[in-house]
Amino acid sequence: MRIACVLIPHFPAAVERRRDPALSGRPLVIGETPDQRKAVLDCSPEAEAQGVRAGMPLRQALALCREAVFLPPHPSRYSDVFDSMLVVLESFSPEVEQTSLGRAYLNAGGLARHYEGELDLGERIIRSLREATGLVAGVGIAEGKFVAWAAAVTSEPGQVCTVPEGKEAEFLQPLDVSLLPASPDTLRRLDLYGLRSMRDLASLSPGPLQAQFGGEGVRLWELARGVDSEPLRPRRREEMMSETLRFPTAAVSVEALVVACRRLLMRLHWRLRGRAARRLRLRAALWGGRSWEKTLTFHEAVTDWERMLFIVKNVLANAALPAPVEELTIELSGITEERGRQSTLFAEKAGLRRQLGETVRQLRARWGRPLVSRVVEVEPWSRLPERRHALIDYEP
Amino acid sequence: MVATAGEASRPYRLRTVTGLSPLKEPRPLTVATGDAGEPVAVVLGGRRLAVERVEDVWRIDDEWWREEEVSRLYYRLLLEDGRPLVVFRDLVRELWCEQSY
Repeated sequence: MRIACVLIPHFPAAVERRRDPALSGRPLVIGETPDQRKAVLDCSPEAEAQGVRAGMPLRQALALCREAVFLPPHPSRYSDVFDSMLVVLESFSPEVEQTSLGRAYLNAGGLARHYEGELDLGERIIRSLREATGLVAGVGIAEGKFVAWAAAVTSEPGQVCTVPEGKEAEFLQPLDVSLLPASPDTLRRLDLYGLRSMRDLASLSPGPLQAQFGGEGVRLWELARGVDSEPLRPRRREEMMSETLRFPTAAVSVEALVVACRRLLMRLHWRLRGRAARRLRLRAALWGGRSWEKTLTFHEAVTDWERMLFIVKNVLANAALPAPVEELTIELSGITEERGRQSTLFAEKAGLRRQLGETVRQLRARWGRPLVSRVVEVEPWSRLPERRHALIDYEP
Repeated sequence: MVATAGEASRPYRLRTVTGLSPLKEPRPLTVATGDAGEPVAVVLGGRRLAVERVEDVWRIDDEWWREEEVSRLYYRLLLEDGRPLVVFRDLVRELWCEQSY
């Protein structure tokens, strides 16, 4: 299937630069100020050239690039711009897959017939995106998502790179294996084996790669030869509803935010008319032009606004909002018809254990550390009480 | 005579195994002792409680092969408010602890 990959590298940095053109050409690091113990969310190519990488501590980024401009992240702004980018792409093809901020794939099969070839299609996409969002994308068109992405990565912003059908392996050959979607450990091992280009990898037979890397080895071998059967997963257009409340004066207390959430959820509940929502997004416009957002996915679709409020309350109580809130928005999505809950006639032990395991995993994900323990016998024969039993982390 | 918990601020832990949190660990305790060294009062939650009677006494000597051997004299007490309590005197470290037994 012909697939077009539309890529805006360093998307958050590109959005910030569009907002403030004075930042153009200057190294930019996004992720609060360097005195905070946080990580880099994104950086501009200038900062990247000096060794700054997403995920590294901000202090390290400052040490590497002292002249960089440090900006706080604006997640809502980035997702808004990305959403408008997807809408533009959907005007070209109804099948658009969003993967990460700044990267999307669309089904380009048969589209070229409506234009003067694939190059023209890519150029029109770039032009439309520039008009709608002010951002410059690179476009790669090829068979399969991986080759299309490799084509987009290797092309300059504002350029289109098309790989004719059957020429995938030839196109990939000189490229570095670090482009492959492999774990850092696998990439390190490939380097140790002297496998640095796609050509090196593709020239091997799959057997030794499977022996060394298991299933991942065969998948990488196929990708290096331009064989990518991963299907396009178009995003589903979902009904979404949102309500916004602007505070007369910026709110700082959790109580004030909870009251606002209560009002918003009551309004949304009325609009839901008995239906249930699977996801809730809480967005806050903060004092000083900053923003904050948090997406919550419910275990099962929720129709009861009080239950939603209970969950939101917990989130707000634990969220360290970096500034007072000027405006609060709640969005509900994944809206479904409410379904009756089927209770089991007989309690199933396995089901209960599964539920327990799920709860433990959720608690661990929520708090970042194990919270549930299991009592084990250590030396039950010991005369010293503290030797007999101990607590170990509960592993579901 | 009042014998304090000694190094009460330091957790009382003889031996720990990574990843395991022992249950029923001894907790340092302030104990007033009589002439024979028996507990006559304890301080619990900042409150001094007299010992109504000593219900049992036993001694455990163990792990003499380890660097820190164990030698404890246990007392099962009944406090003036009716509460039962097990305490011991660590004869090696010379300190008092309470412990669920």
